[in-house]
This record gives sequence, structure tokens and C-alpha cells, in this order.
Amino acid sequence: MIHDFRYIRPKSLEEVHDLLSNISEQGCVFSGGTDLFVDIRAGLSTPDFVVDLKAIESLHQFSFDKQEGLIIGACVTVNELIRHAAVQKHYSILATAGRELATHQIRNRATVVGNVVTASPCGDMASPLLCLDAEVVVLSSKGSRNILLSDFITGVKSTRLRPDEIVEKILVPGRMIDAIGGYKKLKRIRGHDLGVVSVALLKGKDTLRFAISSAAPTPVLLTDFPPSTSVRDIQAAAQRAISPIDDVRCSKEYRAFMVSAFIERLMNEAG
Amino acid sequence: MMVRITVRVNGKEYTREVVESKTLLHFLREDLGLTGTKEGCGAGECGACTVILEGHAVNSCLILAVEADGSTIETIEGEVKNGRLSRLQEAFHNHHAVQCGFCTPGMIMTIKDLLRRKPKPSRDEIIDGIEGNFCRCTGYEQIIEAVLDASGQLGESEGLKYAR
Amino acid sequence: MLAANSEKVKDSSMLGDIQYGETRVIGKRTPRVDSIEKLTGEATYVGDMTIPGMLFAQVKKSPHARARILGIDTRKATALPGVRAILTGDELDYRVGLYMVDKYVLAKGEVRHYGEAVAAVAADTTAIARHAVELIHVKYEKLPPVLHPLDAIREDAPLVHPQMGNYDYMDTAFSPIPGSNICNHTKLRKGDVEAAFKESEWILEREYTNPSVQHVPIETHVAIVTWKHNDQVTIWSSAQSPFTLRNLFCMAFKLSHNKVRVIVPNVGGGFGGKAGIHIEPLVACLSRKAGGCPVKFTATREEEFSLLPCRSALTYRVKTGVSSDGKIIGQKMTMYWDSGAYADYAVNVTRASGYSAGGPYEIPNAWVDAYTIYTNKPFGTAYRGFGHVEFFWGIERHMDLVANAIGMDSLEFRKKNALRPGSVTLTGEKIEKHTGNVIACLIAAEKAVSYGKLKAGEKKREQKSGMKIGKSVVALHKAPAMPPCTATGVILKMNEDATVTANFSLTEIGQGTYTALAQIIAEGLRFPLHRIKISQETDTDRDPYDWQTVASKGLLLTGNAALLAAQDLLRKAYEVAAQILRAQHVDLDHDADKVFIRHNPDVSVTFREMAVGYAFPDGRSIGGPLIGTGSYIAQGLTHLNKETGQGLPALDWTYGAHGVIVEVNEHTGEYNILKVASVFDVGKVINPDAVRGQAIGGMLQGLGTAICEGYMYDQEGHLLNPSFTDNKIPTARDLPLEVESIVIETPQLDGPYGARGVGEHSMIAVAAALGNAIQQACGAELTHMPIRFEDVWRALEKKESIDNWITKSPYGSCKSEPEIRKNRPAQ
Repeated sequence: MIHDFRYIRPKSLEEVHDLLSNISEQGCVFSGGTDLFVDIRAGLSTPDFVVDLKAIESLHQFSFDKQEGLIIGACVTVNELIRHAAVQKHYSILATAGRELATHQIRNRATVVGNVVTASPCGDMASPLLCLDAEVVVLSSKGSRNILLSDFITGVKSTRLRPDEIVEKILVPGRMIDAIGGYKKLKRIRGHDLGVVSVALLKGKDTLRFAISSAAPTPVLLTDFPPSTSVRDIQAAAQRAISPIDDVRCSKEYRAFMVSAFIERLMNEAG
Repeated sequence: MMVRITVRVNGKEYTREVVESKTLLHFLREDLGLTGTKEGCGAGECGACTVILEGHAVNSCLILAVEADGSTIETIEGEVKNGRLSRLQEAFHNHHAVQCGFCTPGMIMTIKDLLRRKPKPSRDEIIDGIEGNFCRCTGYEQIIEAVLDASGQLGESEGLKYAR
Repeated sequence: MLAANSEKVKDSSMLGDIQYGETRVIGKRTPRVDSIEKLTGEATYVGDMTIPGMLFAQVKKSPHARARILGIDTRKATALPGVRAILTGDELDYRVGLYMVDKYVLAKGEVRHYGEAVAAVAADTTAIARHAVELIHVKYEKLPPVLHPLDAIREDAPLVHPQMGNYDYMDTAFSPIPGSNICNHTKLRKGDVEAAFKESEWILEREYTNPSVQHVPIETHVAIVTWKHNDQVTIWSSAQSPFTLRNLFCMAFKLSHNKVRVIVPNVGGGFGGKAGIHIEPLVACLSRKAGGCPVKFTATREEEFSLLPCRSALTYRVKTGVSSDGKIIGQKMTMYWDSGAYADYAVNVTRASGYSAGGPYEIPNAWVDAYTIYTNKPFGTAYRGFGHVEFFWGIERHMDLVANAIGMDSLEFRKKNALRPGSVTLTGEKIEKHTGNVIACLIAAEKAVSYGKLKAGEKKREQKSGMKIGKSVVALHKAPAMPPCTATGVILKMNEDATVTANFSLTEIGQGTYTALAQIIAEGLRFPLHRIKISQETDTDRDPYDWQTVASKGLLLTGNAALLAAQDLLRKAYEVAAQILRAQHVDLDHDADKVFIRHNPDVSVTFREMAVGYAFPDGRSIGGPLIGTGSYIAQGLTHLNKETGQGLPALDWTYGAHGVIVEVNEHTGEYNILKVASVFDVGKVINPDAVRGQAIGGMLQGLGTAICEGYMYDQEGHLLNPSFTDNKIPTARDLPLEVESIVIETPQLDGPYGARGVGEHSMIAVAAALGNAIQQACGAELTHMPIRFEDVWRALEKKESIDNWITKSPYGSCKSEPEIRKNRPAQ
């Protein structure tokens, strides 16, 4: 690594809280490390300490209950998410979006929580989780608080997480269980790529939801459309809500265009 | 700061003092002399550094050596057993799935992991499985054929394979 | 699959009577001789090497595209414990250059491109070296860069090399224009092009562009150098051309060749990017300054994109005059090659493209002006295809546009105008029957994609998907771009057990030539393949000279040298055998194990007995170690006349064709490539799987250029995509649904067993084929690369195209409208 740092591997949440109270300004917590170490190598992040959460068993919690829904602990990897039978059966949109995230090797390390906390505008996990009314459970020495995901991400790579806090888990409620999900991601190649623009659809019994990534500083959630809403109306609402930019990957024009195209495609596929 | 770690690589145990910020990739190559695993980008994009850690194919360039303390690791050096190439290596050899060879160790480890999860992968599953391993030389086609062969899915009559 | 056109021809090499219907090893499927070591992880690459006392180098790079260096403060870096040597440009008065000696080892006084090396450090560890680099402080005065080649040739453009007039350069081949940014102007004048335009029924003119791309070998550039006392220099490098590297090194540092040794173990991909000399001089200077300690430098992937060179960008303007019956009468071709900050190979790319510029078509009247232009960007070096990928985008798109404009089917137009026996090329070379058969390639490609119609399955697919299917067939050609005196040597040494070790300096960069050469040697000697060892590592102290591993010339030149060496080895063995057997040479024959009297085969002596000298029963000895040598130099090639471009530059011509099937979403511009069929006239297949590997590998690399690759800069010349995040290359998922590889065999009379090279050709025309097929499918007319979905959409929507290689450039090179005029021929 370019940058030298200390590595700490706490064995309990108490240890984590202690560490964060003392070194939070110079430290970074991590589990997968697939964003953190890329940033450290690029000189974009220069922590003095990295705090590995993987030895804390409770953070590997990954459970499903028809009433409570899904609990995704901080250390659950994206591949674990995709492989989980309950996810495939009841929250297929998470599996679909998860499969689009980077590569198999990255997904064996990258965590769902990590992807959300990184809060890149092109992240793959935030938009389907938004559709599902996910909440993050934030933990510190002072206790825990639940924050709706739509409130949690505040801007490009920024969240409401305070320096002495970690996200313990993500809660995905049971109310949107078995909804039909879809995820379309525009890439520059058919192989692995960041999302140039992407749209997630969730179609429940009596509601339609969309979430759009890479078209605004944060993922944009569009709720709750009655199932009879026309494609045109949804597209219009989407165009009003997004603010895409020109960059080396794409023009804002094409991004906006593909948002509408994906909405139509997803609606057709969802039936 | 140096930290003592112990890893089990290809069935052999190693204990070393390592700098905390050192990646598993560099540790394998520099500290253990296992230079078969290669660095292609250092950023988790190209897959040349793929090893199997606790049964999962991972990019060793994005893992710290200290994270792997106490772990079981498989690298390309462990693929040959009792002086014999593995079935996968044989298939690569027979199908010209190796050109410059630099992506090959990582590719083999990724496929090894794939075949454990899916012993008879379809062509699409192979393609999905190796998506995270760049090869600039072969165009992947002969690699795919080698995997089909290694998993017993290529018939005797397959000459120079063409269309899907 | 072998197309029906092959012929059995005697005398397939210039050496003797070889009926290659009878070959034992040539043309047979055999595994590669180098794959097992690579499969086990045992193959050594330079990055795997450690030498006692080795230091690690890091480089300070310029953040600016053009700036004056006002001062460099290295005091803090020097004081860092573990730092053993620091260099800046002030201390190094050495310039390097293959054809134009224009590059200082470290930027001196001025930086000319983003990412250029300004200072370098050697230290005990990479981390210390990196830290030291951060502590080096460089004071710059930023200057406005010149970025677009068309800006660079304006009268008022700042000069990238104001001193160009003083540079040494190879004047037999190149024509720089001092006082400008044009470091070479290649001219070709054949016939009378203006008269031809007057005679033409149609005149069509268009401009085509493509950006720089990177080779992206999976192994980045890496070198270890020791510069010991008495100027004994050893260089280990991941390099394609050890002798050229040594030669340029010695020229730059004024050392005699026998003091410098270059060793190349395995190379993790080259594609031309490792063909010349790059980081070795800087690493060598660090070693010298560090008292002769070995110093290792491994480029990061980001450095590979900006510190190391790329492929030149091209703006190509083609004006074609066509007769009423669809024959090309005249063509004017103007190439603006964006060489970047240094000339490197770009001047030769210009020259090689200049004489090949019209594609495999008969052009009776032609005018070519090809300019190599300096700009303040990372510079262009050799890249697979050597200019041909870049200009075939233009030519093969142009052929379709011309055909469409005159109302003729584009494949028929190609067949009508294709070179054939009796045709004359742009440089005045006459095509013979054995040159190759481009029409056969076109026909094979046509068949492979069922060009001109949709099959039932394809129609169904269209109906189901709503996407439109388009097909195209394109042609290509290339000759090796090399000096007329290109030469190579091979040494064959018989070991005590009658196995043979071959030494030569052609490097194995993945292309498979080592295996083909082993087969050629085995065939030539009549030995089984497993008894031939190709020495993997190349060492200029041990191996005979080879010019470079580029240009798709290795198989032909080194193959012939190998056959000569085999003949020489056998001749020497026969000489000894004749004495032992008391026979005449003419009565001797041999098999894999022994030399015997043809009419009395029991009278024989084994190779083993003679391998390192033969001892009679009483002890008297004759002979000695059996060593065969072969040297081969390109035959019959000439320089090109600098005014007319006429001459004989081509060792051989490899023709080819692609058929492409694509489906396009006319609403969004998204597309899928359903099939690519690649056809090459390789003369003779030595190793079928190796040919196929080159065909498919190159095809996918060509698709990368076509679909997603390309350097992007801002208006200040900063490279905006210096990593894999935004500089994508094809993954396995990017393979077309179906790929097919077909060979034609029109024997190369002076090639080993009739073979000619094919290493580069597979990449050359894929992009144009794709562009044509997309246009055929939905009408989107694209003249710039890469072809992103967005670009197809913009073309479909008649929106302004985006010049996506210099963002927000005022230049309209990709906005060019075609000029199509119907002419009244002069009465």
C-alpha cells in the first residue's frame, strides 16, 4: 500500500466503540475493503488506522423472517446476499442488482452495508434497498438509532453517519416481500462496469416504485405510483426528479433518455 | 508496525512478520516467494491476483495479509499435485488457452472456484464466472473450451470449436 | 476450416523441394511449448525476479501537459533514510529515439505531456521510494498545450519541439519539417489523381477519426538494470526487442554493444507497447547513480496509461473518384497522425500506413500525404496493426459509404476493386498469384455470415427482439512494417542425447511463434517435436540477432533462418557421418535417430554418437559439437522514394476479411454483436490452434478499440481516464455470441512451408466491420470511434456527435459531413 497504517481487529462491539471514540478522526472501519483499499492506493483516503469488523460475530447476522423481513449484518457479502434462498425467493430485486455489482471476486468480499455506506452515486445496492423501504441501524457507544435509507444518504459519498458510528445492519421490512423486482444498468461494456445510469423497479400488489442511480448526487426514489400509472407519467416524474451530468462516461442527455427507456423496459418485463 | 501472522497456503503452514499495510498479494509474492500470482492493476479490476481464500475466489490485491491471519489459501502453486497437472491445467494446455500466461494463474484459480460451485457450468455460466479476469491475448474462447473440456462437457469429436 | 482455394505447391520455401502434403508436424494440432510453465506459475517474468541488493524505483510525473520546469527541489527526498539515488533531467544529457532522437531520459527544462517523468528515485523499498517522490517539489510554469493535431499544424501553434531541426533522425525513411510540429511527412504519388477526379463519375470525400488507446498488456512495463563499473550494463526487461533495446541504449549512452546485455524472460503481453525502448534508460541511470546496485521499476497500471506510451490517434480524410461502373479511378488520402509528445514509432506508423493507406484495392491514381504531428499528450508507439487498425476504420467505412452513395452493394464494390494477380499496389508492386487471395477471403466471410440476407432464425430473432439485424463484410491487408534490411539468426545446438536446443532472439509475447518455430525445426530436421527445445529466455550475450518481435514477420524471417540452421546442422552431421561411414554426401540420408547410407541403410551412425564429437574405437576423434546456424535477411525490399512513395516495402501481404452480424435497438442505440467471422490468407497453417488463438484474441482486442477504448482529455491535456475505472477493455462477457475463424492457404513462396504471418491482422478491420454492420442495420452513420451506444443513438437521432476524445473540443473532426458530388466527366 502507498500509505502506511495500523490494522486493528476488534473482537466485540464495545471495542469498536472504544476505538471510534479515540481514533475516529484518523480511522476507518471496514469489512470487505474493496472500496477502502482502492481509495487508499489512489491516495484519496489516508487513514492512520483501519478497523476490521469481521471478527465481530454479530455483524455477520443474516436472517429472514416473513414478518420482520431481512436483516443484513454489516459483514454480509454481496455474494452471500445473492445466494441466500430467502433473498432469491422473496427479494429477487436484491439478487438481480447484486449480480450486477463488480465481479465475482469483489462480491466475495464487498458487503451490502459497505456499498451503501460508501454512498457512491453509481452504487448498485442502494436503489433496490430504497425501493424496499430499507433502514440502516446505526450503532455507537451512545446506543443505536434507525435511519430510513432515503434519509441516510445525503450526497455524493456522504451519509448521516457520524465519525464515532458504524452501521450495524440493514433492515429490509417484510411489507414488500414477494414484490416483482427488476434492475437495469447501463454499462459501457457487457462485462463489469460501474453503472453509467441504472433503474430499479419494485412492483408490489398495490404500488409501483422506482429508484434511479447515477442520475443525481444520491439515488432518487420515486414512490408510490398506483399500479395503473402509465409509463409516460412515470417517465415524466423521473425526468423531473433526476439531475444527470455530463462526464467522461456519458452525456446527461443520454442518461436522461436511458432512464426513460429503462422505465419502459422494466414495466414491460414486470407485466 | 510488524505483526506476526500464520497462514496455510496450499497445505503448508507459514509464519511471518508482516507490515500491517501490506497486501496479501505482495505478501504471497515477496514474503513467501510464491510469485505465480500476479499483479495486473492493484485495484481489483483485472483479476490477475485471484487466489482462493477460505474457499472463495478473491482479489488478493485488495486484502491485507493481516486480514488473512489464520486463513487457508490456495494459489496456483498448489494446483499441480504429485507432479501432475490438474485436469483444468491439462485442458488449458490442450486447448491453447494460454498465450502470454500472465492472466493464467488468476484465471485458473477463478475457474477452480467456479467448478467447485458448479461442476458442469454452461458456456454462459463460465463466461459469467470469468468476467472478473481480464485476458488481452486469447479472446477467452479457448479458455471457455478448456473449461468445458475439464468439466467433461466437450465431446471427443470436438475439433476446432466454433459456434455456440 | 480450410477454404477450397488452397493449392499444393512445390518449393514452398526457397530452400528446397518440400511437398507439404507430406508434413509430419507442420499443420498438426500440437500444444504450445511454453504453456506448462505458465500454467503452474513457474514461468518467470521480470516482476518475479529479485537480485541481492536490489533497489526499487519510483518516478515523479508531470501533472501538466505542457510546462516549463523552473526548479526541482530534492533536498527533503535525499535526506529520507533508505533513499539511494535521485535523478532529475538536469543531470542526464541523453536523448533516445528509434527514428527521431527527440526524447530525453527525464524531462529537461520542459514537460511535454501529462504523466511525463520529471524525476526518479531508487530506494531500499517501494514505499520509501514513493514517499521520496512525494517529497520532491517541482516548480512549473504552466504553458498552454496544443492538443489536437489539426491545431498543431496551424501557423501559430506552439512548437512541441522547437529544436527538431537539430535532432538526428533516419533520413532514408523520414522527412521532418523543422519549425513546425510535423515530425514526418510521408508522401506517395502514383499516376495523376487530379486527372482521375476529372474522369470520375462520382467523387466522395469524408473524414474519419479515432482516439488513442492503450495496449493494456496484463503485465505492465517492468525492468531491472545493473550498471556496474566499467560500464557493464545488464538489463532484464519485459521487452519485445532485446537487440533493438540494446542498440538504442548503446546509441544513447555511447557504449559499445558488447558492454550491454539485455535479457528477456517471459513477457506478459506486448502488443507493440514493449517493442522499443522505454523505462530502461532511466532505470539504468538510477543504478549507475546508486553505485551499480540493481534497480527495479514496475509501472503501476495508471503509469502504464500515461507515463508509458499508447497508440497514436488519427484523423483520416479520404477522397475517392469512382467510374460509372463502380471502379475506383483515383483516391486522395490525407492522414493526420497524432503522435503525442514524442515521435517514437509514430513516424514509422505514418510511413507504413502511407504505403498501405488505400486498403487491398486497386487504385490506379493515388495521392497520399501522411503527417506525424507532435502534440502535448502521451505519445504513440507501436501498436498491433501498426497504424492499420486506425486507418482501416476510415478506409473500410469509406468503401461502404462510397458503395451506398453510388447505389452498389458494398461487398460487390469490394470484390470489383480488390487487388488480384496483375494489380499494382500504391507503391508500384505487382501482385502475383502467390501474393495472397483477398477475394477468396471476402467470399469466405460472405458465406460465414450469409451476407445479403437474413436466415429464418435471424428473421425470427428480429421479430422477437424488435432489434434490427445488420451484416457487413470488410477486407484488410498488411505487410510487415520494417526496414528493407531486416534480418534474423537462429542457432541450433545438438545436445549429447540428440535433442536440439534452439537459440534466437524473437521473443514469445504470447503470439505462439515459439511453438510454430519448434514445429518448423522439427519438420526441417525430421526430428520428433519433443526433441526440440526452444530456449525461453532471450539473452543478447547468447542469442543471435533478431531485429524486433513486431510486424508479423517473425514466422517468415525466423522460420526461414531456422530452416537454414537445420540444413546447416544436418550438413555438418553429414560431413562427419561421411567420414565415419566412408561414404559420399550424396548417398547419405537420415531419420530421427541416425544418418545412414541410403542404399545400404544398415550402415549408419547415430546423431548421439556425433552430437559433441565422434570418437573412433581407438580413440581418435573427428567432428565436434554439432551447431547449425542460419541467417536470413528480407529479400528484394527497397526504400520508398521520398517524393513518390514508390518502391518495394512489403516482405509479404497477409490478406483477410471479416464478416460481422450485429443487432441494433433503433430506439436506444444499444447493440449486440451476434457473430464475427475472421478469415486470413496465412499461406500455410503451421499450428491451427495458434492461428485460431491469434484470430480470436486479435478480434476481441479490435472490438475493444471499436466499442469502449479511448483516451479522453480535458482542454488542458489532463488524461481523464488513466485507469480501468474509465478505460475499459473487453471481458469474457464481451465476446460476440458466435466467433468463427477461417483460413485460406495461398502459399507464400518464400515463407517456411509457405507460411506468412498473421499476428496483427486479426485486429485491423473489426471496428470498421462493426460500424458498417450497424449502419446497415439501422442507418446510423458513424465516422468516429469508439462506438458507444450513445454514439449510435446520437447518429440515429441526428444529434450532434460528441468528440469524446478531447472533451468539449472546438474541433469538428467527428462532425464532418460527407461531400458527395456527382461529376460530369470531362468531354
